[in-house]
Amino acid sequence: MAERVFITGMGMITAIGDNVAENLEQLRQQRSGLGYTSYIDTIYKQVLPVAEVKHSNDALFSLAGITSHEGYTRTTLLGLTAMREALQQAGITDVQTAPTGFINASTVGGMCDTEKVYFDIVDPAKSGTFLQYIDTLDCADCTQRIADTVGFSEHIATISTACSSSANALMFGARMIRQGFLPRMVCGGTEALTRFTLNGFNSLKNVDKQFCRPFDQQRTGLNLGEGAAYLVLESESFARANNSRILAEFTGYCNANEAFHPTSPSPDGDGAYEAMKAALAMSGRTLEDVDYINVHGTATLNNDVSEGKALERLFGNNVPLFSSTKPFTGHTLAAAGAIEAIYAVLAIQQGLIFPNLNFKEKMEELNISPVTELMEGVSVNNVISNSFGFGGNNASLVISKYEG
Amino acid sequence: MAAISPQATFEGDVFSAPLVHTDSNLLTCMEPDYKPFIPANSLRRMTRLLKMGLTTALQSIRDSGVEAIGPIVTGTGKGSLQDTEKFIREIEQYKETALNPTPFIQSTYNSVNGLIALQVKGTAYNNTFVHRGFSFENALLDSMMLLAEGAPNTLTGALEEMTAEHFYIKSRIGFWKPTPTDSRQLYDQLSPGSIAGEGATFFVLTGTPTPNSKAVITGFRMLYKPTAAKLAEGLAEFKEGIDLVLTGRNGDSRYEHFYQQADTLFPGIPQLSFKHLSGEHDTAGAFGMWLAAQVLHTQQIPAQWFPMLKALPATINRVLLYNHFYGEQHTMIVLERV
Repeated sequence: MAERVFITGMGMITAIGDNVAENLEQLRQQRSGLGYTSYIDTIYKQVLPVAEVKHSNDALFSLAGITSHEGYTRTTLLGLTAMREALQQAGITDVQTAPTGFINASTVGGMCDTEKVYFDIVDPAKSGTFLQYIDTLDCADCTQRIADTVGFSEHIATISTACSSSANALMFGARMIRQGFLPRMVCGGTEALTRFTLNGFNSLKNVDKQFCRPFDQQRTGLNLGEGAAYLVLESESFARANNSRILAEFTGYCNANEAFHPTSPSPDGDGAYEAMKAALAMSGRTLEDVDYINVHGTATLNNDVSEGKALERLFGNNVPLFSSTKPFTGHTLAAAGAIEAIYAVLAIQQGLIFPNLNFKEKMEELNISPVTELMEGVSVNNVISNSFGFGGNNASLVISKYEG
Repeated sequence: MAAISPQATFEGDVFSAPLVHTDSNLLTCMEPDYKPFIPANSLRRMTRLLKMGLTTALQSIRDSGVEAIGPIVTGTGKGSLQDTEKFIREIEQYKETALNPTPFIQSTYNSVNGLIALQVKGTAYNNTFVHRGFSFENALLDSMMLLAEGAPNTLTGALEEMTAEHFYIKSRIGFWKPTPTDSRQLYDQLSPGSIAGEGATFFVLTGTPTPNSKAVITGFRMLYKPTAAKLAEGLAEFKEGIDLVLTGRNGDSRYEHFYQQADTLFPGIPQLSFKHLSGEHDTAGAFGMWLAAQVLHTQQIPAQWFPMLKALPATINRVLLYNHFYGEQHTMIVLERV
């Protein structure tokens, strides 16, 4: 029988905090990270809200614990900051002490920095230090810079499945542990805001000019965010031998494709339904065991109908407490799955249900509505975390309280 | 399996097709007629990499005889560069207004996976790896894990394109040879850089042999930035009974020493290299695996592709494929005759 997989460390940076503790505090205070960009060069600066990490790249260098300024993109710096915390929290001072893999996720790699110099890069008449950013455009650049800085030399990989990328990174890492490839994996994703993605989602008419309103009848779209998050996963035998502090158990997961449309989910949420159902079945938990669902809840017209329908189909009249934390962090694309997996662990550890900010009016297509106020002292034993993306990619994770 | 590559690998007889060569330092894919594979209204909207990827995937399914395709896993280092470049350019050109979303959507690294799933109604697991010279190989690892977990089969592939703009960009950091090089002499003229290439390669993998099985994978290893000792240890693991070593040699003097290490570990074992056929790119390893499987299956080597070839063993039962991407991602795959 395959080994159980435990979460033994977490690190993150988002618009609401530079580490896990700060994120928790802002969630408790119900303070959103949404605002307007200071760092992207766009005509939408004052028009489209984003959840930006409140540090310049220069400040991020010190947070990330490096001095070098050559060729490190914002994507890498956010990732390194989160990685340092995850390792520290797991008590890992040197990743070489045990075979440790690194599975990263990214949707546009170092686009945040390359888009600023792209037209110089393609102009033979121009030359300069910007050439150091040439090879940072792809998704592997940030993974390797992070790996080389902290010393990962075992298995490394980068996954890009749009908005489900880091959920898939967690799943891939857990599967490698269960199949006995490596006893310890660090998995997650990093994403920096870019003019490229902002215009991409805006061209799809998917971006709200107000702060996003997941599961609200009046919602008109998402707000983008940036951040990074990593979780340390360990096999049960390794965690026990290593005397690791176990934060939660990663009990179930499923990746399923809808095969419906390149960018839209099916109206009845077939993929979301399948992913949640199979992840729950794998976890060995029943529908009644689910205490909280951290929904994908992007606040786009299509996602929330489709995801809501899937919840009603799976849980009938007993849909568990659910909320989207996107109004806190924005939609952080490749980082979202890992950020929200950490929120799931926090919900379990702290007995909290986070509020779905900005919700006022129930959607007419649904009979359910999200939690709108912070709930404390709740017994949270099992959380489903959803991440759905372009290309029909659906991923659901089940994170459970560690009970020995 | 199926491959669109700079050689005539997709249709016709690979044993009679002439060797395609270039002195432009860029080997470009020989693209088939896509109409038999993709409906005309879809075809119009699709850019080059999407057409190459989807068509190769569909052809490999036909070739496999498998009826219902399970998980779909791919690797691509760069995704659809044409779309990425177009969207960057249009943002600038139209000052961020009235943008067509299509290039943005198609630039997403998993867009080909989504298209394949749509076309074959593939609702199972779907994943895309984007890690330079580990892109295809992680897709392969994921697929082997899926088979071990009980998947009936997987559709596993890789796709890469090279655009004029990206060729220029990479030339600025020494990816390609500074002077025009005849691709047929790639291995004879060591100098910094290689020649560029592209390709789409797909395989249907199963956990047990089928009548259509071409080869079986019996060994597999990825090494990230290994030391000489670690590489030697990795290669030595696969030393037993190798009849043919297939290397990703690419004429780049800066990283040739890794392949020379393999030479010394496999003395006297026949060796072939494939980058004069495919060019160098993030997922060239998939082409190497296609070639290894082709050789094992047919027990023949397309002679016109390998004029340097002297003698081969009468039977080839076990092939070691060793490739690396600019010295960083090293991969070893052992394939055997079914």
